[in-house]
Amino acid sequence: MRDEMPYTARVIRPDRAPAFRDPGIRNGFVHVPATITTQPTRTALLPAKARVAAVVPAVPQISLQGVQKTYPNGTVALRDVTLEIPKQDFVFLVGPSGAGKSTLVRLLIREEKATAGSIHIEGQDLSRLKRRHLPYLRRKIGMVFQDFKLLPNLTVFQNVAFALRVTEGALRHLKPKVEEVLSIVGLEGKESKYPDQLSGGEQQRVAIARALVHDPRIFLADEPTGNLDPATSWEIIQLLLQINARGTTVLMATHNREIVDVMRRRVVAIEGGQIVRDEDAGGYHAPALESH
Amino acid sequence: MHRLWNRIDFAFSSAWQNFWRNAAVSIASVLIVWVVLLALGSLLLVLHSLDQIVALEKTKASAISVYLADTTPLSSAMDFKLHLESDPRVSSVTYVSKDEAMARFRQLPALDPSVIDTLGTNPLPASLDVTVKDIRDLGAIDQEVRTSPLVDKSPATNYEPNVIDKIILLARVAGIAGLVLIIGLTGLSVFIIMLTIRTAIYLRRKEIEVMKLVGATDWFVRWPFIVEGLIVGVVGAVVAVLIVGFGYRPAVINLQSVLIFVPLAFDPSYLRVVLAAMLGFGLLLGSVGSYLGVRRFLKQ
Repeated sequence: MRDEMPYTARVIRPDRAPAFRDPGIRNGFVHVPATITTQPTRTALLPAKARVAAVVPAVPQISLQGVQKTYPNGTVALRDVTLEIPKQDFVFLVGPSGAGKSTLVRLLIREEKATAGSIHIEGQDLSRLKRRHLPYLRRKIGMVFQDFKLLPNLTVFQNVAFALRVTEGALRHLKPKVEEVLSIVGLEGKESKYPDQLSGGEQQRVAIARALVHDPRIFLADEPTGNLDPATSWEIIQLLLQINARGTTVLMATHNREIVDVMRRRVVAIEGGQIVRDEDAGGYHAPALESH
Repeated sequence: MHRLWNRIDFAFSSAWQNFWRNAAVSIASVLIVWVVLLALGSLLLVLHSLDQIVALEKTKASAISVYLADTTPLSSAMDFKLHLESDPRVSSVTYVSKDEAMARFRQLPALDPSVIDTLGTNPLPASLDVTVKDIRDLGAIDQEVRTSPLVDKSPATNYEPNVIDKIILLARVAGIAGLVLIIGLTGLSVFIIMLTIRTAIYLRRKEIEVMKLVGATDWFVRWPFIVEGLIVGVVGAVVAVLIVGFGYRPAVINLQSVLIFVPLAFDPSYLRVVLAAMLGFGLLLGSVGSYLGVRRFLKQ
């Protein structure tokens, strides 16, 4: 069980150490004093307060405390969800359909408001965020979906540039920026294609490029491989890993069991609106007891 | 500067696309704006003409022309003039001969002189133009002169005590009826513009979703639709302004030839005010309609 796993085991594996963009804000992980490194950082089954105490260093980038979401029709989508995600973490959010994964993602970009509890992103309380400040939160968060949400009448270049234009980015930097993100996702040479001339994987790459134009600090992916074949799904995952390695926190809601099992990253499992498991280097399903 | 230009460029190009993407609805809203403004412009001009007529009639109100029978000799006419001048209520009396009457008649605007020439003889009577000190005495003097054998019987005088009241009443009725019509049409046009904007928002829903997702501000999302409403208002207004602007003078000239004795006049300075008002009202209709559309259908 992850409870026995030392904290350091998760942090210092060289193949997983992210390439920090800003060495000054190394989120505390590598600097955690030795006395604390042996402490478990997160245990889903501990009460919220105990877990907060365990994450001693810096304020988590994403923090949900006792979050409840009840829709107007009475459906309870999330109940007492407490979750903390430090900077540059890579988290899989797993669970059956209707478990509340999408609701959680929608709460993070404040497409929905929590009914109870609090959500902080980089220290900002989302429940107190004024509507006119909402766009600036969204510019910190890159977001992709299962259905890509590309505009069919715009080319690849225009789809990506659209995100910069409508957020009034400096037009002088528009072309180099679009070219930069398109090269990150490996779509050089396809700038003038339209979405329907691209494969599903390529379309998702365009969506990822679009989500990257604001250099987001957080990247949310809601079932990004849901419409893709396994090989293409892996390509998208590689891309998300790259993005993570550049210093961006990635939260990916997924059904894709194979990917979660192979990746061995932090897994947060939701069922019936509650977090039932939160483990580092986890699998899609809870490990069987006998394996310990 | 770049950002402002980007915002303006985006708003106008999207608005223009929206306008043509749902062209049928857009054109319907342009038409209704056009009708409203045409009604508004016409009403303002008609009321202004009635005002002018009332003002002119008021200056004429303290005088009547007493028409003399063609059989009346000049000496009797002069005696009659002296008799009237001795009346303490009368301030002055002027004799107008048949020739003078004809000369005045020829000067009426929009009257074709060749028509008069075909008459051969001069049908106009000579008259005594009587000015009174107090308008309220006009009726009594009118009654007295009618009894004189020197006076023409058809008609005896041009005394029409109710004409001003009638014109004022006409102006009031026209004003109220026009206002009711314009208020109704205004409500209708705002509603239709709102529906146009709603259609545009519906057609753009995917773009709006992406815009909000990547962090566009509310106003950045709204501006294209407000601009679309303004385009509808301006296009409707420009068409109406052209029609009223170019149609006013021919309309006045035509009416002058029909209503020879009505003092209609072309007033270019007032026309400019009316055209400016039409343009302003068109912009107002467009912006209110689109603002309501945006407010109602672009809430999150």
